[in-house]
Amino acid sequence: MKKLNFSFSTKLTFDDYVHDHSFALRIIPPDTEAQKILSCSLNISPTVSTKQTVDAFGNNVTAGYIHGDHRFLDFDIKGTAEVDSTKHSSSLMPCYLYQSEFTAPDDGLIKFYSELKDKYNGNAPEKAVYFSDILSDLIEYKKGVTTTATTAAEAFALRAGVCQDFSHILISLLRMDGIPARYIAGLAFCDGETHSWVEYWTGDHWEGIDPANNCPVNDDYLVISMGRDFRDCAIDRGVMFGRYTQQLQLVRSLLT
Amino acid sequence: MTQQNNKQFTKPVGNADEINELLRRYGVKFGIYKNGVFNEQFFPFDPIPRVISSEDFKSIEKGLVQRVNALNEFLFDIYHDKNIVKDGIIPENFIYISKGYLAQCEGITPRNKIYSHISGIDLVQAKDGEWYILEDNLRIPSGASYPLIARELTRIAAPHASSENEIIDNRNYARLLKETMEYANCGGISAILTPGRYNAAYFEHSYLAEHTGSVLVQNDELFVEDNILYQRTYSGGKTRIGVLYRRIADEYLDPLTFLPESLIGIPNLMEAYRSGNVGIINAPGNGVADDKGIYYFVPKMIKYYLGEEPILKNAPTYLPFYEDDMKYVMEKIDKLVIKDVAEAGGYGVVFGRNLTKEKLEEFRKTIIAEPRRFIAQEVIDFLDLPILEEGETVMRKADLRAFVLSGETTKVWASGLTRFSRNPDSFVVNSSQGGGFKDTWVLK
Repeated sequence: MKKLNFSFSTKLTFDDYVHDHSFALRIIPPDTEAQKILSCSLNISPTVSTKQTVDAFGNNVTAGYIHGDHRFLDFDIKGTAEVDSTKHSSSLMPCYLYQSEFTAPDDGLIKFYSELKDKYNGNAPEKAVYFSDILSDLIEYKKGVTTTATTAAEAFALRAGVCQDFSHILISLLRMDGIPARYIAGLAFCDGETHSWVEYWTGDHWEGIDPANNCPVNDDYLVISMGRDFRDCAIDRGVMFGRYTQQLQLVRSLLT
Repeated sequence: MTQQNNKQFTKPVGNADEINELLRRYGVKFGIYKNGVFNEQFFPFDPIPRVISSEDFKSIEKGLVQRVNALNEFLFDIYHDKNIVKDGIIPENFIYISKGYLAQCEGITPRNKIYSHISGIDLVQAKDGEWYILEDNLRIPSGASYPLIARELTRIAAPHASSENEIIDNRNYARLLKETMEYANCGGISAILTPGRYNAAYFEHSYLAEHTGSVLVQNDELFVEDNILYQRTYSGGKTRIGVLYRRIADEYLDPLTFLPESLIGIPNLMEAYRSGNVGIINAPGNGVADDKGIYYFVPKMIKYYLGEEPILKNAPTYLPFYEDDMKYVMEKIDKLVIKDVAEAGGYGVVFGRNLTKEKLEEFRKTIIAEPRRFIAQEVIDFLDLPILEEGETVMRKADLRAFVLSGETTKVWASGLTRFSRNPDSFVVNSSQGGGFKDTWVLK
């Protein structure tokens, strides 16, 4: 068990005024078996009234709407959590067994899986570790070659990507193997950005694995959101109107 | 007249040209996209009404109420406890592979637990008089306005028809719809959301708004603030919307929950909906219940949820997913109709008898490769109805879309949309496939 202080901030800047800006943030970490949120405060600028709900996947959603002209949206959270990775959540949504938008394999990924599946027998945890080992040899961790819209199949074809891509490919393999798996967005490694990893269903509970670093998940990982893939977990989604042509996003995170 | 037999009724009511001219003038059209180009077409009206006897209607009515009630129970179950899967009635993957299943809707309970407020159930009558369900449409079934306006115009063109025949007045649709909308209302005005005038059913959207006293809105005048849906007023104020009868598909409904690229949706509508601040007609996620693969299980649902025997029959259906059914389908493929479960509007429907030997062989392989993608049905030899073609009466295949409205109680509208195929060899009656429609008279 470990006490973590976390902070996370995003600055969204536009090169022209925007208005009628609706947003949905998945930024307040959920209280789960493995993590208790002791304190958490959210600040949003410009000042705007927001409402909280919990979505289908158990994420805290903060929704807001800014009617008037503005050129930026900043939000940050600060808080303290007690993380105990020996405790596990044990409720399973059946949809996690099925491929989703970002994890649906193409012929290349299906072929890769079918060549792999007979080489190794084991239970779900052993399979997850095995797949993660293979991926860490095969896929190069490389920034800038993929985007947030890259699918597992696309990243696999490139043999390169970032944590999001490693997670999608591993989830795709696990689901092909009949093991339910979910995507996690969160904070780890204090690298200044958000991280992503995977949880798989052992048959009894959820267990975390970090394919980008090819290691198990420990008390230094804080879950912010979870879902079938990146699409369910996006930390901020927004729609706005205006003549802006560019938006700049700066993200800072800290975990101590 | 109560024992009126459909076969005897072959006379046109009013002058077809006159009514079609009135329909044109009223702008009764529907649009279709073909090869990416939007075309508006007139939906040809046939003046010979379809007549359903009072006795026939009573049994259809009972069967439809039962079916829609079971489907509503099913939708609640699937988005909550999933008992029907746990109890082994429906295989799990039929639910989760279905494109209509939306995980984002898990745990949401719409007001009064009603998911399918407006159900369009397609039936055909076989030559032996038996009615069969062809498919359920629980997302945004369209078509109710056509028989409504046709009846209105028939009344103008042939004022005596209503008094000479014992027909149940169908003008109550707007009232039934209004009551249904009121029952789903979470506080505020009623609105009908249209994607705009380049939509296939735009005529209907405006017609229904006018007749239910709802405002017809497009997304650019709506916004969600504090998880409440508002319409912006001309003076810069805002009016709360309590129920939204949306005529856009689930995937486009909220770009912050579903397709981010949707330009016709309302950001954070799903947050307002989840919070119980707005009713959405029909509920998002209903596609899981009108999936062609799930259709097979509807009679089982009726037994499971209601403990009753199904009153209306499904067309005999086979799921290649099951081994025995696969065997049968492989053997009899040339006699069956095969439907792609992902398609709608008459697309993806193949009659085995129309395929060459080579094509059949190819199709068998496709089915073996993707068994879950198809269902196979016996071809029902359904009743031909008389239609008027260039002054001659000819017989054509027709179906019936019945409209079932679920509010405080479940009611069947005593009318419906009868669509016919203009092609003598075709069994496909969808309007997007070039068919026409006629008025449907239910006798008193």
